Amino acid sequence: MATSDTGIDQSTSIPFYRDERIINWIAQIVSAVLVIGFLIWVVVNFLAAADARGFSLGFNFLNDPAGFPINDPGIEYDPSMTYGRAILVGLVNTLRVAIAGVVAATILGTTVALARLSPNWLLSRIALVYIEFHRNIPLLVLLFIWYFSVFTQLPPVRESLVLPGPVILNLRGLYISWPRLTETGGPLAIALIIGIVLATIAYFVLRRRREETGQETYYGWVSLAIVVVSAIGGWLVSGGTPLYLDVPVLDGFNYAGGLRLTPEFAALFVGLTMYTAGFIAEVVRAGIQAVDRGQVEAANAVGLSNLQVLSLVVIPQALRVIIPPMISQYLNLTKNSSLALAIGYQELFSVGRIAINQAGQAVPVFAIIMVSYLTLSLLTSAVLNVYNRRIQFVTR
Amino acid sequence: MSENNSQPIIVCKDVHKWYGEFHALRGVDMEVAKGEVIVIFGPSGSGKSTFIRTINRLEEHQRGSIAVNGIELSHDVRNIEKIREETGMVFQQFNLFPHISVLQNVTLAPIWVKKMPREEAEELGMELLTRVGIPEQAEKFPGQLSGGQQQRVAIARALAMQPEIMLFDEPTSALDPEMIKEVLDAMTELAKSGMTMLVVTHEMGFARAVADRLFFFDEGNVVESGTPQDLFNNPQEDRTKLFLSQILQH
Amino acid sequence: MFRKLLTLLSLLVVAAVFMAACGAPTPAAPATEEPAAEEPAAEEPTEEVMEEPMEEPMEEPAQEEGGGILARVQERGTLICGGRTDLAGFGSLDDDGNNVGFDIDLCRAVAAAVLGDANAIEIVPLTSADRGPVLQTAEVDLLSRNVTWTSSRDVQWGDFTTVMFYDGQGFMVSDASGITSTDDFADGISACVTSGTTTEQNLADYFRQRDIEFEPVIFEEAAAVYGAFQEGRCDVTTSDRSQLVSVRSGFDDPSAYTILDDIISKEPLTPAVPHGDTAWFDTVKLVMWSLINAEELGVTSANVEEMKNSENINVRRLLGVEGNYGYEELGLGADALANAIAAVGNYGEIYDRNLGPDAAVTLPRGLNELWTEGGLIYAPPVK
Repeated sequence: MATSDTGIDQSTSIPFYRDERIINWIAQIVSAVLVIGFLIWVVVNFLAAADARGFSLGFNFLNDPAGFPINDPGIEYDPSMTYGRAILVGLVNTLRVAIAGVVAATILGTTVALARLSPNWLLSRIALVYIEFHRNIPLLVLLFIWYFSVFTQLPPVRESLVLPGPVILNLRGLYISWPRLTETGGPLAIALIIGIVLATIAYFVLRRRREETGQETYYGWVSLAIVVVSAIGGWLVSGGTPLYLDVPVLDGFNYAGGLRLTPEFAALFVGLTMYTAGFIAEVVRAGIQAVDRGQVEAANAVGLSNLQVLSLVVIPQALRVIIPPMISQYLNLTKNSSLALAIGYQELFSVGRIAINQAGQAVPVFAIIMVSYLTLSLLTSAVLNVYNRRIQFVTR
Repeated sequence: MSENNSQPIIVCKDVHKWYGEFHALRGVDMEVAKGEVIVIFGPSGSGKSTFIRTINRLEEHQRGSIAVNGIELSHDVRNIEKIREETGMVFQQFNLFPHISVLQNVTLAPIWVKKMPREEAEELGMELLTRVGIPEQAEKFPGQLSGGQQQRVAIARALAMQPEIMLFDEPTSALDPEMIKEVLDAMTELAKSGMTMLVVTHEMGFARAVADRLFFFDEGNVVESGTPQDLFNNPQEDRTKLFLSQILQH
Repeated sequence: MFRKLLTLLSLLVVAAVFMAACGAPTPAAPATEEPAAEEPAAEEPTEEVMEEPMEEPMEEPAQEEGGGILARVQERGTLICGGRTDLAGFGSLDDDGNNVGFDIDLCRAVAAAVLGDANAIEIVPLTSADRGPVLQTAEVDLLSRNVTWTSSRDVQWGDFTTVMFYDGQGFMVSDASGITSTDDFADGISACVTSGTTTEQNLADYFRQRDIEFEPVIFEEAAAVYGAFQEGRCDVTTSDRSQLVSVRSGFDDPSAYTILDDIISKEPLTPAVPHGDTAWFDTVKLVMWSLINAEELGVTSANVEEMKNSENINVRRLLGVEGNYGYEELGLGADALANAIAAVGNYGEIYDRNLGPDAAVTLPRGLNELWTEGGLIYAPPVK
């Protein structure tokens, strides 16, 4: 047959160096060898240089007492704890501001994007100014403005703003009265956790029933009732007062007790959130605009309200375009949190810098910092990529 | 509100529409009786699509009045919503929602707008997909279907809101030739069931066989209207004659 | 045809360099019509290009064969000093943008001794936290940036030459705070401090020993520390007393702030050099000693030439007129120390110029008087 003839032709008549399959194989092998060789060369060179300068490359120092204090540690810490603990505190502080920042920046950024797309001229202009302002000013400058021109301009401790609650605001931070468990609070805590779990299950089961049968099941109210009942039950079982209100009171130089947000955290959180929201707004806007106009018309034509058009048709499709650049924004926010160094919020990088200096261990500490950021980035990307794959359109 | 067949279900009087300086509709008058099938045709840019889109307020008219099933189309959002519930629309580019399955495309509006229970909506959805001949595609996504199948899903989606009126905006223009028939068949079946239909199309075979009345549009207005026999066999206006001779030549 | 393959390979080498970081799959490199290199080993030139910048730091370590830091400095013609530009009296910029200050003058003295030109210096401004790594990697020839000499730094950072300024850690408070002595310190007090310093650790120890709950507010930049302190973010700030005096002089209203009398630590400020180059270590020590000895022997920048004719044998040895104080072994000229003294003056002159009664920042000499005057400034004899 003619087909088998041409088949033989293909494999026999061309010399190997012109066979694209062989060329591709050779290219793969050669580049792999070169890459591996390069990496080995870098590592060997690095180790030689480190050895020549007497750098210690061990991690034993992590068990030594750190000796330096940390402002606003997210987990328990005092200077008698180890370098390992200090770096962990830094990581926790990074996560604290990154998670809060990602959530807030997403909400704010989406809101700004919707304002930007709004037919309301004024709203759209305000959003435009917001976006341009935050995209064109370096984050470090914004952080300085928030810290030195806003949060440290609040009244001193003795002239604190006392709002009902009491909520106290001064240049040492924001203090909020906060309920905490007493020693007899165990049963209440357990009852509440069980109650919330049950309420969540009830919410989804009943909502599904409502969708399937059309009968009103009052799922919102039922789950709320479950939480309230379990809370009351837990309170009764614990016998005595399981909760007390931790009220901030002026003690010595500062307020003690309550829940406190330091000005350093506040400045970083607000600065990072507002800065990243400027970029997220553009990402969301591009995503929404990428949705074909016909989709909105079709959704309008079947009678969906504007809010339903947005939530059921536009946003689910826009997400497909939004997610990949959004991952970058989340990673940027996380990595940008290292600028906290300049305004005294002590996260991973800032604690790492101190550890490098105090322990004289530049290489291991930098390795820890890099691996930590890399892990955070890869985890974020992995989770969002899985989600992104799920929302891609199915086509032929 | 009368259900009398002689009572018009759509009444348009002196409808005007401008895009900036461009005067797209120049005083269109039209009355459609319940159960009537209207075919609108005309050269591109004649305002026929614009006109059909003003009926469910995808385009806003700036002068004149439009009443659908006795509801006056105005800036009142409630009236707009009501009219949209009573009219279904099929688009040239199908405009199916690509992120949800075919069945979900059909059930979306009944569930969210009519608050229909999911099971009931899915039953209705399967019924409609069967009616347009593609029940076996229910679980697929729009992107996996051919153009003709997608347009039939679009018809089912529009019917799911159980509208009084169906609007078709060039439903076959984006289709490969071999798929046009399956869509026209579904539309013919719909017309026979007594649905009030406004169809913008150049499928003159369909117009001749199914339409009760034809409207010829040019330069933003109705040039001539009448039964298919009147228009095809005895057009009165020169512009109608010219246009018909152009599209019926082949 | 074989040539084409070579072109392809050399292109791949280039591609591999770019991909080394990410390890992405190879895109099939297009074979161009460009003539390939004549040599069969077409890869080599490309590899050299990529190696060169990486190799450079390898040549720098002080202890490598074939010349230490001194040779490097003399070849370069400038002395690279780690310093600072933000602390009046120790290291700052004058109106013309020149680096001036006590620490800077020490650097200039070394430059004058080894290069014959006190102005052949390059000051690299460093934050506190940068000091250790920069010295460890020998990026500077000399670190003269009010560094406290501690045993662990001596082990980890580099070689500490000789104490040039005896300091101690103190506290500064604003008068508005109502604090008049350390007895007023109480729970909730917050303290602004520079990160990566001994004062940071001393502060933690201090409050821990007194069982006082304190809030550390920590910045890397000294400007941020004192900025936040002036805004009232902290009740106290702490650092070496010399530094507190210096920064206070730059405050909007220096009289509204008080430096408390208490001293909570020993802070011997000492220039340091990278580890491992004994000859360079000795050279810098020798220059430092000569400055101290010059003051003790009455040699000043003004009378150096005249003193070369001195009857005093110690002066004659110091100025290289008689005997060998070790300059031959180090590879210096006999007049190296004379040059240094002529350029920047003796220890007392340096002190007075930067921290004396007529300087912008005034600190009483206190412990920094010569040992003969009851202070601690004392140097081994130059002979």
